[in-house]
Amino acid sequence: MKNLRLTALNGGPPRRTIIRVGGVSIGEGFTVIAGPCSVETEEQTLKTAHQVKEAGAHLLRGGAFKPRTSPYAFQGLGIKGLQILEKAKKETGLPIVTEVLDPRDVSWVAEYVDVLQIGTRNMQNFSLLKEVGRTKKPVLLKRGMYSTLSEWLNCAEYILAEGNPNVILCERGIRSFDTYTRNTLDLSVVPAVKEVSHLPIFVDPSHGTGKLSLVEPMSLAARAAGADGIMVEVHCNPAEALCDGDQSLNPEMFASLMNKLNHMDACMKEIAKI
Amino acid sequence: MMDLKDVRKRIDFLDSRILRILNDRMELALMARKFKASIEDNDREKTILDRIRKNSPGLINSEFIEKVYTEIIKESKTLQKKDFRLIGFKGEHGAYDEIALREWDKELIPIPCEGYHQVFEGVRTGLYDCGIVAVENTLGGIVGEVNELLVNTDLYVTGAVELPISLCLLVLHGADHREIRTVYSSSQALDQCSNFLSRNNLEAVQYYDSAGAAKMLAEDMPQGAAVIASRLAAEIYDLHVIKEDMDNFGNNVTRFLILSKEENKEEGDKCSIVFSTEHRAGTLFKALEVFAKKGVNLTRIGSIRSSMGDYTFFLDFIGSNRDENIIAALRDVEAVTVNYRFMGCYKERKTG
Repeated sequence: MKNLRLTALNGGPPRRTIIRVGGVSIGEGFTVIAGPCSVETEEQTLKTAHQVKEAGAHLLRGGAFKPRTSPYAFQGLGIKGLQILEKAKKETGLPIVTEVLDPRDVSWVAEYVDVLQIGTRNMQNFSLLKEVGRTKKPVLLKRGMYSTLSEWLNCAEYILAEGNPNVILCERGIRSFDTYTRNTLDLSVVPAVKEVSHLPIFVDPSHGTGKLSLVEPMSLAARAAGADGIMVEVHCNPAEALCDGDQSLNPEMFASLMNKLNHMDACMKEIAKI
Repeated sequence: MMDLKDVRKRIDFLDSRILRILNDRMELALMARKFKASIEDNDREKTILDRIRKNSPGLINSEFIEKVYTEIIKESKTLQKKDFRLIGFKGEHGAYDEIALREWDKELIPIPCEGYHQVFEGVRTGLYDCGIVAVENTLGGIVGEVNELLVNTDLYVTGAVELPISLCLLVLHGADHREIRTVYSSSQALDQCSNFLSRNNLEAVQYYDSAGAAKMLAEDMPQGAAVIASRLAAEIYDLHVIKEDMDNFGNNVTRFLILSKEENKEEGDKCSIVFSTEHRAGTLFKALEVFAKKGVNLTRIGSIRSSMGDYTFFLDFIGSNRDENIIAALRDVEAVTVNYRFMGCYKERKTG
């Protein structure tokens, strides 16, 4: 953990970075980011936005620029997608998290949304990291699927070094040998991050497992491990999703998950007292 | 090489222009009506037809164009018979002033004017039945030119509109946001969006009017260009809105006044006056004291310097000039001021 001048605690007094987005304080309590993988249509996005808001989500996620394994897969709606997200925010009040892929788009995307997301494939795209570091928007930095904790924190350091202190780390599963799940969700990294850094740490159980049945248990486990929040994919009609339909919760499943997470509030407080 | 799709795109583009030009021509026909004793003018019709017959180029044969123009003239006369009321506004179609006047009265026919001076003159000479001008903006403050014209006019204020201004970024259909380098608009709109422009490294280029810039973008299609204008301008010039509410601070509201040669005869709830005061201690206070004593709520005080050290004041207040209390207040203010003029009692419309 050398050279982590800004990201690491470096043996100093314990402190946590609190990031304020709209009315939400990330790093204080448990924050839930929910929404579709991609903005497909205005109707689908607004419908999902209202449903996740109703169930108690704090921020809305949705991709307008999509990094897809195949160049022939749906690439996202671009600016039109950002305009739809802006409308969803106007209607629901939920701040927006969206991924940015291209350094040329960073300043533009920042005009429409509240949190810029750096995807797992771009974690070490240093010119992109510098560019988001120059904006004043909070950045959700996903862990590269082959990256060590040290490499990951070094990427956060790039953003902080450019003058943007508002970085949220997000564990989204790493590549391992098991093919039963899409990735191996590394929950041990949550308390590990807390040991070395002051930055908030989120967990993405949707990409982390790639399996619908595992999203809820791993969300609850993330909370138990001390994560500051989760980012979960919800689609108003997962069967028709253009992207990641297999791992998206439907609105009822999401409402049930929120209910269970809320019940954990008291539990976590009890445990902290012991 | 052009393919059928490209050719059709050009045809669509020309059709939009033909429609806009036809609309301009109809507007001029309505303006011509204000000068003519009667709608029928056979000599003028003959001159027009002779002229177009002589000038018709290439593929346009004279029989065809005569048919087209006979129809155009027929439609112009139909419109002239309708007794439309014309309202002059500054800028091109799609200007915020036009949006405000639509909010005021949808029945009015908006006629674009080059500047505020032309609006005032057009109303004064009877070319337009009324006019609309912007007086103040929450971000830009008072519109100096309009306030100077107001001090010296004989026109009456017959209405007011408060309009939230949403400044939008407009591009040609299919344009890539990454290729935008320059942004054209009025100096006020560019000022109000300066943060957006600097964050995205865009060069601001001043244009005489925001809607005029939109028209230019649609017709000249300069490379790497965008404009800041209204959503209405995007609709009129078939442009694509890629960002709304671009301004630095939000809460961008402009207040417009409706001007007319005749005083408003209907009941109003707001009044405007202008006056100067003698160069003695306490004269402005004496004028304001009248309102305080009568319990009248002032909504705007503006001042315009007429010469060094001499000011003319604008006062707007809530109340009707049919109310005894207001009548008495105005009598008292007139007594303690100079060059006093009552500008009208009217209704104010807040929109958005």
